[in-house]
Amino acid sequence: MSNIATTVMDKLKTWARVNSPWAIHFNSGSCNGCDIEILATLTPRYDVERFGIKLQGSPRHADVLICTGPVTLQARDRLVRIYEQMPEPKFVVAVGSCGISGGVFQGCYNVVGDISEVIPVNVYVPGCPPRPEAIIHGVVELLKSLQK
Amino acid sequence: MTSPVSPEKFIVPIGPQHPALKEPGHFEFTVDGEIVTNASARLGFVHRGMEKGTESRTWVQGLYLMERVCGICSHVHAMAFALGVEKLAGVQAPPRAQAIRVLIGELERIHSHLLWLGVAAHEGGFDTLFMFSWRDRETVMELLETISGNRVNYSANVLGGVKIDIDDKQKDALLKGMDFLEERTRHYLKVVTEDETFLGRTRNVGKMTYEEADTLGAIGPTGRASGIQRDVRVNSPYAGYPDFPVKLVTATAGDLEARFVVRIEELFESYRLVREIVEKLPPGDLAARVPRRIPEGETISRVEAPRGELFYFMKSNGSDMPERIKVRTPSLCNWASVLVTAVGHKLADMPMILAGIDPCFSCNDRIVTVTDHASSNQMSWESLRQYGIEYYK
Amino acid sequence: MVIDDDLKLAESLLEKITISSTRPEENRVDFIIHASDIKKATLKLLREGHWGYLSAITTLDCPEYMVDETTKEKKLVPEKGHLEVLYHFCRDAAVATLRVSLPYEDPTIDTICDILSSATLYEREAAELMGITFRGTPNTDRLILAESWPEGVYPLRKAFTGLKDLQTPEEGVCS
Repeated sequence: MSNIATTVMDKLKTWARVNSPWAIHFNSGSCNGCDIEILATLTPRYDVERFGIKLQGSPRHADVLICTGPVTLQARDRLVRIYEQMPEPKFVVAVGSCGISGGVFQGCYNVVGDISEVIPVNVYVPGCPPRPEAIIHGVVELLKSLQK
Repeated sequence: MTSPVSPEKFIVPIGPQHPALKEPGHFEFTVDGEIVTNASARLGFVHRGMEKGTESRTWVQGLYLMERVCGICSHVHAMAFALGVEKLAGVQAPPRAQAIRVLIGELERIHSHLLWLGVAAHEGGFDTLFMFSWRDRETVMELLETISGNRVNYSANVLGGVKIDIDDKQKDALLKGMDFLEERTRHYLKVVTEDETFLGRTRNVGKMTYEEADTLGAIGPTGRASGIQRDVRVNSPYAGYPDFPVKLVTATAGDLEARFVVRIEELFESYRLVREIVEKLPPGDLAARVPRRIPEGETISRVEAPRGELFYFMKSNGSDMPERIKVRTPSLCNWASVLVTAVGHKLADMPMILAGIDPCFSCNDRIVTVTDHASSNQMSWESLRQYGIEYYK
Repeated sequence: MVIDDDLKLAESLLEKITISSTRPEENRVDFIIHASDIKKATLKLLREGHWGYLSAITTLDCPEYMVDETTKEKKLVPEKGHLEVLYHFCRDAAVATLRVSLPYEDPTIDTICDILSSATLYEREAAELMGITFRGTPNTDRLILAESWPEGVYPLRKAFTGLKDLQTPEEGVCS
């Protein structure tokens, strides 16, 4: 992966988006625990949109990919395709223990495990599942690190 | 959308990009103009190989694995597994544990039904209802966290009983929570049965007759909305249900409205049951001892998950690892019924009909696609959903 | 007792087809039947007797094992053993299971989809994961496993220990 700082400096147009990133979500085979907590961040109690984070549908306009799950064999190709469709600069947040090591599914015949074996990952948010605050924290930490 | 002479098919990827339906999937419908003439399914994206996984893990590890078949109904999976092991081992979990299992099972049903209410509302474009129901749902998430330490994957079960107890402070919180939720749920019942726009999307839509539901083996709220009297808690009570019986909730219309009403009525039953358990929680131990090696044998464990009957077939070879665990989740049954129900309906009704069975993809990851032979049309889920909303404006 | 009545009813419905039957638990009856009688048995239970509904189809791999002389470890005898297919019908608390034994060399049994169309999802899963062939089943498309999953590899068989063990290291996890 190319030097993030250089890429970011080169793309001032999309830099504005970092302050108000568009995120997409992908479930690579998760039990759904992480996904419902991600969904919860949209609801009034957590209201992730006040951080300027907008969850929308298309990879072609996305800055951040929020990925859950231990990457099943079927999901793997789709995950790669979605990542490739995203324009630079792009970042990946892996939510949940499954995306770190496969979680409880480690060794099962249909999973890869660590998301970074398939696409590069910038932030891991551990937990089974991590709570909505932790997920928001992970995304906000990513954004803060880019602003440096 | 034009009305072509020959049948069209549309691919509707329920994508990874779908903000509300969090699971990856494709739906396949054949349409003739506006009307769906065929629907089929393909599973795959969330298949992890868990049944095989249990064969190389101990019984204890298996419990933690099966909790994560589905993050929405994790407790019922663990409970079905634990109950099965206890039967094989000839061990009875103590009454306090069985009551706590029911308590948490009902709290889980509450969170699941409220989750579904919001998601199904979102499918129909009723985003205010989605936001309200998920805000209210936070009440039960907090209660589950207070009791178990986690909002999701509460891990209350151990082989032989439970590992968490309920103290007086938690009891108070539970009672207050049930009062709040009951009041809010009365409001939702009103919306679902009186709001004109909502009824326009649900009344007489997606009808499944009693005979159809019976033949197809429909279960859970989907089946009960067509009058099928199947609820494992009532037909074959397990854990604490013999001491804390629950009422069977059915409807007769068999349409989408009925499916909403059945789940909401079930919420009231759950609130009542939680209150009853809090008042009458039996004293005693939290768990009985289960040996590491489980005696040889086969058992069948059936429980009522929020979506319907959950079926576990469990075989032991006498060692500390299972010989075979077979899991049949409720969504697989309901899937078959919706594929039949979809035929004859408008494409615009598909998002609501699919949401109406409360599909749990991770229980049964599945992909359904709508393919267009003529023009290779691809319709995203969001487009289909919007199509439905616009159609009914 | 109602459960016992239900079990007795199933026993009498299947009397002529049953090779042998057992009551493994107080709410269960298992019937061993010939594979060739599966349609007849299903019709008897579901259509003639209105006995409950099909709840699940379980598959079991029953390979032969031998004990290694030196290591004393239990080892699989390659290609020796049989498969079992279990059809579970539920009526309230009672569960009636039809048990069929199929040889490795020819794990074929008639479909029951002409009697019960919703059985297709169960049959597809059993075919894909355990390698059972359902004669006449309407849909043989892959249900769960990826398109790239190798043909003839049935992950629920005891002999399967992972894709890595099938392929040479250069090929990786899954092509």
